[in-house]
Amino acid sequence: MATTLMPGQKRFTPSAILADLTLLAWFVFSLFPIVWLVLLALKTDAEQTTTYFSFSPTLDNFGTVLSDRGEELTSVDFPTALLTSVLNCAGAVLVSLVVGIPAAYAAGRWRFRGSNDLMFTILSFRFAPELMVIVPLFVIYNQIGLFDTTVGMIWVLQLVTMPLVVWILRSYFQDLPEDLEHAALLDGYTRRRAFVMVALPLVRPGIAAATLLAFIFAWNNYIFPLVLSESEASTVTVAITKFLGGGGQAYYNLTAAAAVIAALPPLVLALTIQRYLVRGLSFGAVKS
Amino acid sequence: MSTLTRTDGSAQHTVAQSLVLDRLHKTYTSRGKTSFEAVKGIELSIEPGEMVALLGPSGCGKTTTLRLVAGLETVTDGDIRIGATSVADLPPAKRNVGVGFESYALYPPLSVRQNLRYGLRARKVRDADQRVDTLAARLEMTELLDHRPADLSSGQKQRVALARALIRNPPVLLLDEPLSHLDAAQRQRVRRELKVLQREFGYTTIVVTHDQLEALSLADRIAVMDGGVIQQFGTPDEIFDDPANRFVADFVGEPNINLVDGVVQRSGGKTFVRVGDAGMLPVTATGVADGRAVTVGLRPQDCHTGVGAEQPALEGEVRVYENLLEFGQATVDVPGVDEPVVVQTPADERLAGGDVLRFAADAGQVYLFDDDSGERLR
Repeated sequence: MATTLMPGQKRFTPSAILADLTLLAWFVFSLFPIVWLVLLALKTDAEQTTTYFSFSPTLDNFGTVLSDRGEELTSVDFPTALLTSVLNCAGAVLVSLVVGIPAAYAAGRWRFRGSNDLMFTILSFRFAPELMVIVPLFVIYNQIGLFDTTVGMIWVLQLVTMPLVVWILRSYFQDLPEDLEHAALLDGYTRRRAFVMVALPLVRPGIAAATLLAFIFAWNNYIFPLVLSESEASTVTVAITKFLGGGGQAYYNLTAAAAVIAALPPLVLALTIQRYLVRGLSFGAVKS
Repeated sequence: MSTLTRTDGSAQHTVAQSLVLDRLHKTYTSRGKTSFEAVKGIELSIEPGEMVALLGPSGCGKTTTLRLVAGLETVTDGDIRIGATSVADLPPAKRNVGVGFESYALYPPLSVRQNLRYGLRARKVRDADQRVDTLAARLEMTELLDHRPADLSSGQKQRVALARALIRNPPVLLLDEPLSHLDAAQRQRVRRELKVLQREFGYTTIVVTHDQLEALSLADRIAVMDGGVIQQFGTPDEIFDDPANRFVADFVGEPNINLVDGVVQRSGGKTFVRVGDAGMLPVTATGVADGRAVTVGLRPQDCHTGVGAEQPALEGEVRVYENLLEFGQATVDVPGVDEPVVVQTPADERLAGGDVLRFAADAGQVYLFDDDSGERLR
């Protein structure tokens, strides 16, 4: 007789156990670099090159990275770089959302002359390697005075964030039944109001997902700030590498501590935004 | 302007208005070129308070026509008039039509009450809550008001969608496949309710459907559409008993009409049509030349058995006999006819495979169609 299983309950068959063990192994494997990074960040200068798991952990490295002592070692003001990164990425994501949401809506709702070409162009920003475009960009940025400026960084990060926002949201808008907006039009709302009051609230999970992804991609970007900024607009990704010391002594423990700190803002954003990530708000509206 | 008194005693003004579609065209263009002509010059004149069904297969232009009337598509050519007013160039909100969408189109984050109020809010209607309550009571859905659409069954969603279309009390009501997502039992019930409501409220109504049963039961008149053109517009009886062409004859009727090849034969002042090797059926058509090859339409329901040997009839061996209790259905191989002919037989007349069946129909119920155009020959 078959036993009834509650939702979420699992049957303990050999294959299920094997699958779980495989997943566990993969979990440990993929999490290891992060664990190693955190361990390294807790080691002293003397222990930084050891591979022991047992050592006397210290939080000094974090203090060093964030203090003037860090700047003395690397000539980079890490807290400022952190703030610059937040500013650049938030700015870039904001611009992408303001421009990208209407673009995604238009592309998702209507086919107009050149709409496919436009969408492809936007997507192509993602698959052109950054190293390929960086030299011309460097020349242009120098000539028009955008080198090492916040505006310049926000602008160039559009290459990273805009395609994500437009492509993710376009599919959300496409999934949204058009009848919902039509009903609003018949009710007496204008196109704009139908968009704002009907379509926009229903793609909120999509906006959350796109915001998070775009922010993470912008945050992780290394090449653009490395080449297109010097000090003013230099970001945390560039600052981390300074602890490896250009020719001088390499501080692996400080690098690790800086990396751990740098990983926090996206993590915080992900935790704040995750309750909006729940998809399925529009489920039940329309039978398909 | 007439005043209708509702069953709950509240009086509201409803203007039953005529709806005229005048040579209505809809052409979709892409890159300046005509890519698809969805609606090709539809003429339809609907009386105030009348319920008309647009019946046709998918892609026939019926939904496009509905959307043209609602204002969700722009009219390429022609006119739409509600009462004396041309609405073809008005935005949807100004046309004063209520639409029941096939997908129901309820806002998921809002409760049923908020959904109903949404449309009134845009127009700044003052007694919105009272109107919602009144309509909900009339549609027997008061208990649904505080639920969200996701919590409702498809029958309940359908009811809310209908309420949404009715809440503004529009003189013209457009329903797109209103019953398509309901199960058989719900369908019968909602169909009856819809008819009662439409009668009571007096809306001029267009209902779009691909289901002939729905069209036959709901509509005062049916417009059978195919290829963007109205093939026939008439009462259900006219559509069934006097089809304008082969398409209408074939599309309406369950089981499907038998369509077989035949040759017209005149003898002794009477007209017959020869079917197969030895079959002969009487016809009323007088304007068809002797010896002309035609397509013969014969409904299974119109066939009668027990035809004498001297009378014109078809005869063949029964391939399959189905006993459907109220009647029987025999599939008969008539010599010289490619397709087997389906015949409805009286319930008390049990047959078996291999039996020989002789059957005929009254002259008025044997339809002749042109082989090429499919037009009815009279």
